[in-house]
Amino acid sequence: MTVLNTQIASTELPASGLAIINSKAPFSSTHGKDALDVALIFGAFEQKVSLFFQGDGVYQLCANQDGRLVSIKDYLKTFSAFEFYDIEDIYVCQQSLANRQLAEDFHIDDVQVLSSIDFGTALNRHQHVLRF
Amino acid sequence: MKTLAVVITTPPYSHLTITALTYVEAALEAGINVIGVFFYQDGVMHANEDISIASDEYQAIEHWQRLQQKYQLPLHICITAAEKRGIACDAIDNETINKAFTVSGLGELVELTTKASRLVQF
Repeated sequence: MTVLNTQIASTELPASGLAIINSKAPFSSTHGKDALDVALIFGAFEQKVSLFFQGDGVYQLCANQDGRLVSIKDYLKTFSAFEFYDIEDIYVCQQSLANRQLAEDFHIDDVQVLSSIDFGTALNRHQHVLRF
Repeated sequence: MKTLAVVITTPPYSHLTITALTYVEAALEAGINVIGVFFYQDGVMHANEDISIASDEYQAIEHWQRLQQKYQLPLHICITAAEKRGIACDAIDNETINKAFTVSGLGELVELTTKASRLVQF
């Protein structure tokens, strides 16, 4: 029923804003930080931006991580600033969590866990997509 | 009118470069308004004059230069990403950055994205 409703909504609303897909683990590359910088600049310019976490990108949301232990500036802490930038739509792929046996235990609030279909539907509501 | 913005996040030695350049040129030839190309992450290396590719291989920088001159196509590189990769942007008469490229910030990406009806990333 949920799927049906979101599909109807997506056909009614014109696609708008930017979707950023995060697909990489947090500390092995700078992709996560580069994506964060883009998200915050869009927020600062008051442009609609949503964040999608998929594949190894879901590791960026796991609670109790500290990049400093591996000498990396902990950019994940900045995720808590999303509300000040009006970044409210944060989606994570349920299947990606399940494949990695990760609990829905995130270091920020208001993360929406979506099935693959709903995840795709939510992506479709955006005019532009960037993938990191 | 349909507008297109292109984001390049892969380095010049990636084969995606050829796809990107072919795509951009096809769009320009078809009369599509390509409002700019933004180079981010490893993409900023496209602007580095000091990178030399074997002479019998695809010379990406020459093609960017040609498209910029022929179509006045704006080519923006992200300053933060560039400095991180040894392309010093603050020097006057910078010789590391190819003249076809403009040093910009992420704000330019916001600008291009909001103006473009379509955004394509390579």
